[in-house]
Amino acid sequence: MQRRLANFNIWTVGAVIIILMLFLPNLTIVTGLFTPSNDNWEHMKEFVLQQFVINSLILTLATATATILIGLSLAWLIAQYDFPFRRFLKWALILPLSIPPFIGAYTYHGILNFTGPIQTTLREGFGMNLDPAYFDIMNLPGAIFIYTMFLYPYVYTITQVYLSEQSASLIESTRLLGKGPWRTFFQVVLPISRISIIAGASLVVLEVLNDYGVVKYYGIQTFTTAIFQSWFGLGDLDTSIKLAASLMGFVIIILLIEKLLRGRRQYSYFSTKVRPLQLISLSGWKGFAAAGYGILILSLGFFIPVIQLVDWTILTFGTIPMEEFMRYVQNSVLVAGLSATLIVIFALIVGNFARMVQGKYTKLLPKLTVLGYSIPGAVIAVAVVTAFVALDGYLAPLYLAIGLETTLVLSVSIVLLLSAYIIRFFAIGYNSIETGYDKIGTNFRDASRLLGAGPTKTFFKVDVPMMKGAIISGFILVFIDVLKEIPLTLILRPFNFDTLSTKAFQYASDEKIMEASQASLLIVGISALAIVIFYKILEKEMD
Amino acid sequence: MKKLLSFLLVLGTLLVLAACGSSNTEESETSGDEASGNEVNLYTARHYDVDDELYKKFEEETGIKVNLIKGEADELLERIKREGDATQADLFLTADAGRLHRAKEDGILQSVSSDVLDEQVPANFQDEDQMWYGLTKRARVIMYDKEKVDPSELSTYEALAEDEWAGRVLIRSSENIYNQSLFASLIELNGEEEAKEWAAGMVDNFARDPEGGDRDQAKAIAAGVGDVAIMNTYYYGQMLNSEDPEEVKVAESLGVFFPNQDTTGTHVNVSGAGVVKSSKNQENAIQLLEFLSAPEAQETFASANYEYPVNESVEPTELLQSWGDFKEQDISMSALGENNAKAILLFNEVGWK
Repeated sequence: MQRRLANFNIWTVGAVIIILMLFLPNLTIVTGLFTPSNDNWEHMKEFVLQQFVINSLILTLATATATILIGLSLAWLIAQYDFPFRRFLKWALILPLSIPPFIGAYTYHGILNFTGPIQTTLREGFGMNLDPAYFDIMNLPGAIFIYTMFLYPYVYTITQVYLSEQSASLIESTRLLGKGPWRTFFQVVLPISRISIIAGASLVVLEVLNDYGVVKYYGIQTFTTAIFQSWFGLGDLDTSIKLAASLMGFVIIILLIEKLLRGRRQYSYFSTKVRPLQLISLSGWKGFAAAGYGILILSLGFFIPVIQLVDWTILTFGTIPMEEFMRYVQNSVLVAGLSATLIVIFALIVGNFARMVQGKYTKLLPKLTVLGYSIPGAVIAVAVVTAFVALDGYLAPLYLAIGLETTLVLSVSIVLLLSAYIIRFFAIGYNSIETGYDKIGTNFRDASRLLGAGPTKTFFKVDVPMMKGAIISGFILVFIDVLKEIPLTLILRPFNFDTLSTKAFQYASDEKIMEASQASLLIVGISALAIVIFYKILEKEMD
Repeated sequence: MKKLLSFLLVLGTLLVLAACGSSNTEESETSGDEASGNEVNLYTARHYDVDDELYKKFEEETGIKVNLIKGEADELLERIKREGDATQADLFLTADAGRLHRAKEDGILQSVSSDVLDEQVPANFQDEDQMWYGLTKRARVIMYDKEKVDPSELSTYEALAEDEWAGRVLIRSSENIYNQSLFASLIELNGEEEAKEWAAGMVDNFARDPEGGDRDQAKAIAAGVGDVAIMNTYYYGQMLNSEDPEEVKVAESLGVFFPNQDTTGTHVNVSGAGVVKSSKNQENAIQLLEFLSAPEAQETFASANYEYPVNESVEPTELLQSWGDFKEQDISMSALGENNAKAILLFNEVGWK
C-alpha cells in the first residue's frame, strides 16, 4: 500500500487520463461483439468470410516474415559491419517508408502493366509479345511484395537503433570469446533484439490489416474489405462493428503473443555511456555483397518507384499551380508535426507509467492504447466525429456566451483531425519509446530518485537524454505516417483543407496516377528531408 | 507544487495548440464571419479538377464562397448523419445515383423546387421528391477489341454471360459502385433470379479475376487477356486524350458498343447533388445547383471530363457524339439505390470478387 501511494503522482494521473482518452473510442467497437447477429452477418459467414480471413492471414503472415528477414538482416549489417556506402545506407534504408503503400501499388502497376515502360520496351524495342500474366502484380503475391517493400523500414529502424545503441559490451564480449559472426548473430544479437523485432513486425502487421487502398485496387478481398462492404455497401453498421471487433480480438492476441515472446528477460545498460559498436570492416567481395544487397532493397523500395513518379511528373507538369502546392505542403507539415509532437509527449508519459507500475495486469494497461492502430481509419473517424459533436453539444452554451454564431466549433476544427491521428498512431510512437525505456531499464532512475530528485526532474535529467534515439525515431515514424495517412484525413479535415496525401489519393482513385505523381513526390521529398534532418541531429547527439 | 505546475504547463500547451488549430481553420475561410450568409458548404465525393474550376467561376459570378470537404461518398454521408442538425453541410454531391438515393433514405436531404432546375434537369434525372438533381451522365458500355470482335456479335449485357464468351470477359471487382449500380439495374429490369444467373454466368466467363480500375480492363484487352470489357464511357474519353501515348494507342485499338439498344437500353448512372436537410445556406445551395446544371457549366463538364450533360439544351462534345446516340435504360434512378444491398449480397453469393 505504501508503495502504491508513492506511485500516485502527477505522472500516474496524466498517464491514466491519456490511456482512457485513447481507449474510449475503442469501447464502442468492443461492445459490438455482444450485439446479436443478423442476416448480413450470417450471409457473410456463409459466403465470403472464410476467404476474407484466409487472405488476411496469408497477407499478414507472409508480409511479417518477409519484413523481419529484410529488416533484421539490414539492421545487423549496418550495426555490425563497415562496407562501401554504409553511412548512406544507414539512413537511406528508411526512405521506402516515405512512399504510401497505395501510391507504391499504383506506381508498380504503372511500371509493369501493358502500357508501362517495361512491356512497351519489350514489345516495341524487341518485338517480344510476352504473356501479360508474367507482369501482373495485382494479386496476393504482388500485394505482399508491395507491403514488404514499403513497410520493412519499421523493423529495420527500430532494430537498427536498438543494435547500434546497444551497449557494445555484450556483442564485443561474444566476439572476444571467439564466436564467429553467425553464432554471435543467433546466440546474442537475435535474443537481445527480439523486443525491437517484434515491436517493428507488429506495426507492420497492424498496418497491413488496416490498409484498404492497396487491396481495393488489386482486387483482393480481406477482412478490411468485409468491414467496408457491410458498413457502406449494406448500410449495416452493426455487422461492420462486429467484424471490426473480431479484428481487434485478433490484434489483442498478437499483442499477447508479443508480451509472451518478450518473456521476463530484460537487457539494460550497465553504464550511461552509450558506446557504439566497434565496426568490423568487410573487405573485398563481402563488402560489395553487403552494399549490393542494401542497394537492391533500396532500389525496389525507393529508387525505382521514385524514378517512375518523376517521369510522370515531367509528363503532367504545370497542371497544378505552384502556390496551391505550397499550401498543401504547409497543411501536411502542420498536422504531421503537431500530431507527432503530441504523440511523443503522451508516449513518454504513458511509457514512464508502464515502467513504474507493479503488477502483471496494470502492466498490460498501456498496451490498450495500441488498439487504436487495429481499427480501420474510417471507423475511428466516425467514432471521433460522434464524440466531438457530443462535446460541442455540451459546450454550446459557452460558445453562445462568447458570441459565436455556431454550435459546432471543435467538430469543424483541426482538433478533430489531430485527436484522430493521436488515437490511430499512438502505437507507432509508443512502440518506439517503449523499446527505449526497456533498454535503459530503471537502475539510473532509481539512483536519481534515491539521491532525492523528484520524478519530473529525474525524467528530464536522466531518462530523456538517454532516450534521444527512441524519441527521435518515434517522432519520425509518426510524422511520416501522418503525412501518408488517407482515410482519416479525407473525412475529418476542416473545410478547404487539402493535404498532399488527400490530393494524391483523389487523383489516384480517379485512375489518374500521373496527376497523382506530383503530390506523391512531394510526400516522398518531405519525408526524406525529415529523415535526413533527424539523422543529422541524432548523429550530433551521439558524438 | 512543482508537479502541479508542470502538469498545468502541459495542459496549457495542449489548449493553446487546440486554439491555434481552430483559429487556423477560421483563417482559411474567407472572412471567418460565418453569419455573413455569403458562402455555401459543399461535401463532395467528386474530385475532378474541372469541378474546382466551376466552383471558382461560381464564386466570381455570385460572390458566394464555396467551402469544400472532399471525401468518399459513404464516409461523407456517415459524417453528415453524425453531425446531425448541427452539420455545416449545405450540399451533398456524389457520383452515383445509388448513393444519392441512400442519402435520401437516411433522411439527410430536403426537397427543393425551383423552376430553373426543372427547366435544366429532365424529370427522369431528378429524384421524384425533388431531394436530389442529376448533373452529369455516364454510360456503362461494352468496349471490344476491334481486331477480334465484330460489333455484330455484340448485343446485350445479358448475352455476355452466355457460353460463347467464356474466358473473354473483363470487368472490375464487385466492390466498385459502378458495377453495383449496373447489377442493381439488371435486378430491377429482369428480376432477382435472372439477374443472379447472369452474374454467375459472367463469373464463369471472366478472362481473369477482377483487378484494377476501368482503364485496366481496357489495357487488358490490348494485352490480349480478354476480348470485351465493361467500362464507363468517360474513362475511354480520358484514355483517348491521355498524356501517355501508349494509353492513347490502347484506346484507339478499341471500339465502343452501347448494349441493349433493341431491349432495355444502356445502363446510365448520374452524378448529382441534393440540399442537406439542416442546411443554413439553403438559398446559396440552390443557386449553386442551378449554376452547375446551367448550359455553361454543363458544357464544361462534358468537354473536360467526357461526361454527358443532363441539360438537354446542351450538345455533348464532338467526341461523345462520334460514339453515336443511344437509348438509355428507362428505370428510375432510385432503383439503383434500392437494389444496392441486394446486388452486393448476390455478388457475394455467385463469387464475383
